[in-house]
Amino acid sequence: MSAVLDIQGVTLRFGGLTAVDGVSFQVQQGEVLAVIGPNGAGKTSLFNTITGIYPPTSGKVLIAGHEVARRLDRRTVVTWGVVGLGTGLAATLGVNLADLWTHAVNDLFAPPAPFPWGKAIAAVFHGLAPTWWTVAPFLAGLVAGSAAAASLWYAGRRGPELVARAGVGRTFQNIRLFRSATCLDNVLVGMHPRLTSRWYDALFRLGRHRRDTAEGTDRALALLDIVGLRDQALRPAGELPYGHQRRLEIARALALEPSLLLLDEPAAGMNPTEGRELTALIRRIRDLGTTCLLIEHDMAVVMEVSDRIVVLHYGRRIAEGTPAEIRADPRVIEAYLGRDPTPSRVQAAVIPPGGRRG
Amino acid sequence: MSPALRPWLVPAAAVAFAAVLPVIDRTLPPALSIAGLLPGLMVVAIVALGLNLVTGFTGLLHLGVAAFMALGAYTYSIATSTVYPFQIGPWPGLVVAIALTSVAGLALGLPAVRLRGDYLAIVTLGFGEIVQDTLRNLEPITKGTMGINPVPPLVAGHGLPTYYLCLTLLVLAVLACRNLRDSRLGRAWAAVREDELAARSMGIGTARLKLAAMAAGAGLCGLGGGAWAALQGSSVEPGSYDFQLSIGILCAVIVGGLGSLPGVLVGVLLMFGLNQIVLVKLSNALGITGANAAVWAQPTNWKYLVFGLALVLMMRFRPQGLWPAAAGAR
Repeated sequence: MSAVLDIQGVTLRFGGLTAVDGVSFQVQQGEVLAVIGPNGAGKTSLFNTITGIYPPTSGKVLIAGHEVARRLDRRTVVTWGVVGLGTGLAATLGVNLADLWTHAVNDLFAPPAPFPWGKAIAAVFHGLAPTWWTVAPFLAGLVAGSAAAASLWYAGRRGPELVARAGVGRTFQNIRLFRSATCLDNVLVGMHPRLTSRWYDALFRLGRHRRDTAEGTDRALALLDIVGLRDQALRPAGELPYGHQRRLEIARALALEPSLLLLDEPAAGMNPTEGRELTALIRRIRDLGTTCLLIEHDMAVVMEVSDRIVVLHYGRRIAEGTPAEIRADPRVIEAYLGRDPTPSRVQAAVIPPGGRRG
Repeated sequence: MSPALRPWLVPAAAVAFAAVLPVIDRTLPPALSIAGLLPGLMVVAIVALGLNLVTGFTGLLHLGVAAFMALGAYTYSIATSTVYPFQIGPWPGLVVAIALTSVAGLALGLPAVRLRGDYLAIVTLGFGEIVQDTLRNLEPITKGTMGINPVPPLVAGHGLPTYYLCLTLLVLAVLACRNLRDSRLGRAWAAVREDELAARSMGIGTARLKLAAMAAGAGLCGLGGGAWAALQGSSVEPGSYDFQLSIGILCAVIVGGLGSLPGVLVGVLLMFGLNQIVLVKLSNALGITGANAAVWAQPTNWKYLVFGLALVLMMRFRPQGLWPAAAGAR
């Protein structure tokens, strides 16, 4: 069985700055894995690579064994062709519109007599016979239209929406709720890929829309219940206190029914009591069968909930193991606290022997 | 009253009032009678609802709605007027107008969906100018600056039938907007408006949604445009669907409350009602018309002063609009 998330040698560079440097690890089904590291270690950059906001400079992110990207299939290519043909036809018609209309409509329309539709259609075909003025715009439109469709497809072949649809839900370090929408609507938005009603269902209030609304609302209320916000369902999300907003974000991410839940510093800004409640919530989510990957600074929370911990430092993975192993790892202690007070090579080079510190 | 009926109370009262208004109006002296001027306002309100769908629900700043109105008006005119061979009748004409403007909205949306904020606004502004010039210069088809004439009305009879027909169209447009807003699609639009990255991280494909909003908004504008041509009995010349009109409608939507359906109606009633009804009546009542007074003294020429002043005061004292959208819009 393949891992829920498999990160293979991911490197992410912004110009000269290497934010993530050849990081590899796996997240297994049913575990809670924490990524920790000092500020600027590349944790959030790694998250943004996993969720498809930044494509990795090199390396691969596999979700359930697959890279998340649209594949170039026959239907896509056919669509480009159709768009190109449509653009070509529109360009040809556009360039010749005035002449076509004059010959097919104005010249033939003499009110008391019935309009000769056959002659008009013949005139249109005559006007579209291959000449420079019909062929050139058609070819230009064909090329431009299909190229535009292809480039739009290429620009959209990766991205966070595809990662989400592949079953990865996430929360944000700086809470990003839909603040003027109610809590219920926030969760319903999270359910978007799982609902099926389309615009005509909504416009004419067809059965599928009503079913979506009823079942969606039930499930959303159940999720709000899990995070303890059921009684706040109809309040605007922006009015909730900070800790509640964090939990609402978790409910919204769970609405996707994710196979993997990414939590970006869920305990940030929480007091110890709220932190303990959060720990219980994360345990509960794991017990309900959702694998969790979290970034966290609050060591109390990390040591409590994690099955395994990965430590990043300056973009590199410097350690991986159980909470007990990590706590005792000298490299981790060094990354957080610095080396113990023996002269480093830098100090040795700068401070001459027999100087102040000897 | 049962709680299920409560949200219907205000809309039902408003519709009932609008329905009896012509009856009350008949008892008023002609100087105060307004029922004949209201259908025009209702049609503008339909266009404003279309803009609200794009700008209010989805958050895409659109500065070219008048162009879609023009496309709807010209499509309706060409499809129904006796000076063209098609003459498919008013109702099919309206359907064709909606369909064609939706396609135009889609075509404008395709290159524009990847643009953000200000850039999209510039593209829509440019589109508005292009449509006007194209309509003016395609003389063999559109009769240039003369406009298309005559165009058949939607129903015979300029009085009550037209009034009730426009009212019905407006009510249907409001219902359509509400149905779209309170749905999976409408929630996703709101999500894109509030935080695009968060919306994408929920698995919402923003390009497709923005296209849907552009097409649906354009369709409503096309309906409004077609009804406008039917009401005027002419496509009206291309220059009347100008940037001023787009901005006027945007002002009405903002003054009423961006994203709020009752807000849009209130905004149109205030801004365009002032322009098309109050100032006109005032001019007539004071006996100040084009022939006997300076340009600045005629109340009909004060409209941009009033528009501007209203915007400044709104932004200072009530930036969320007169009737802002309720949280969760329920």
